[in-house]
Amino acid sequence: MWQDALLNMAACSSAGRVLSLCRRFQNVLRISSATNIQRSAVNVTKYHCQLYRETSPLVSPFWSSPTSTASQCRGLHTTISRRGLEEFFDLPENWGEANVKSGAPWTAKQLRTKSNEDLHKLWYVLLKEKNMLLTLEQESKRQRLQMPSPERLRKVERSMFRLETVVTERETALRLLQTGQEKGRPGAWRRNLFGYIYWYRFKEYAIPWYMNKRYKRKTFYTPHFVQPHMRLRLEKHLRDKTRKANSEKQKLAKLKEKFPLMKVPAS
Amino acid sequence: MSLTTFSSFLLSYPLYQLGNPQLRLFRPNWFLTLVRPGKEQPPDTVQFRIPMEMTKCDVKSYLEKIYNVPVGVVRTRIQFGSNKKRNHLNQRVKQPDYKVAYVQLAQGQTFTFPDIFPEKDRTPTEGSMEEMQEKFMEDEKQRQKLDPRRGGVTEWFGL
Repeated sequence: MWQDALLNMAACSSAGRVLSLCRRFQNVLRISSATNIQRSAVNVTKYHCQLYRETSPLVSPFWSSPTSTASQCRGLHTTISRRGLEEFFDLPENWGEANVKSGAPWTAKQLRTKSNEDLHKLWYVLLKEKNMLLTLEQESKRQRLQMPSPERLRKVERSMFRLETVVTERETALRLLQTGQEKGRPGAWRRNLFGYIYWYRFKEYAIPWYMNKRYKRKTFYTPHFVQPHMRLRLEKHLRDKTRKANSEKQKLAKLKEKFPLMKVPAS
Repeated sequence: MSLTTFSSFLLSYPLYQLGNPQLRLFRPNWFLTLVRPGKEQPPDTVQFRIPMEMTKCDVKSYLEKIYNVPVGVVRTRIQFGSNKKRNHLNQRVKQPDYKVAYVQLAQGQTFTFPDIFPEKDRTPTEGSMEEMQEKFMEDEKQRQKLDPRRGGVTEWFGL
């Protein structure tokens, strides 16, 4: 069923490279079934990514993680990249080109279909791509030439941001199920010196709080003489709000006068 | 407790006390820029621009584990970005500070910064926009040229 979906999607795509790409991924990557995030977090030593570079990592391939093979291995398996510092540069064919083609960035919807191991690997692929683009940008500034296709950098940044949101979503869900806590780092709602209430995030100390001189100097309460200032602040805020609302109404009234058949925008 | 998320401003490393497990980072948010050295460097030295939060050990493990590059020694320095230039409002404009790392490769490896912008003969494809533009520009240039029969003398001189 997976293979059929794969082939259908490959047939629809423009390049036949995508099909070979999918096949290569299926052969090389043995991805275990979706596991606990904490347990699947692998020591970075084992990870050597980037098997090949014919297609940019931005071309979101239509491969989906196949079900685990007979070996049922937990660890990540990838080929070791034999090019060391060369990975900071693009393929030699693209040197000197005015435009380098690249695909669309990864969307959060696409990333949510991937397993944790896939996302982990993709992060490093995107990281290396971003490093390469940054070196290219700096060198182009140095040589006073235009960087070919600078939009690639923004695409990679967006993909990485979305990847991180997806991973944090999964982590919070897991944490809620396991512990009932939503946030990983403990905190509390506290009032600061100026009367603002904010989420104070706890910091890890080696000694308890009553022995911590620097912590005891912090004030998590508002002294009574700050109350008039808070009141004035509140009044200012309310005044600004009403003024803004009034100006909007006046604007609409004027427009209605000039254009009686105008439709009032719903906002 | 190893770090799982990596937003730069929400980050705080767990406290380390003797006997704690090694700190491990997943999905690091650090990006290295390989730069061409301004001053002449020895052949085994590679110059990087790294984020301020990285240390020498971080750079070493980053290159060894992600890029599989044998690293010997790393030296870092912080480059102050100038605050001297002024904009049209006479306000001082700060250029960002950055950290530079000089990485010496192990195992006798050498590295020279390649020429990433070689001159390439660009022949635009037939019937494409570029070809039409090039043709147009050539015609315009031809029109601007003076009459060759005048032998280099400008039009300003009558006759």
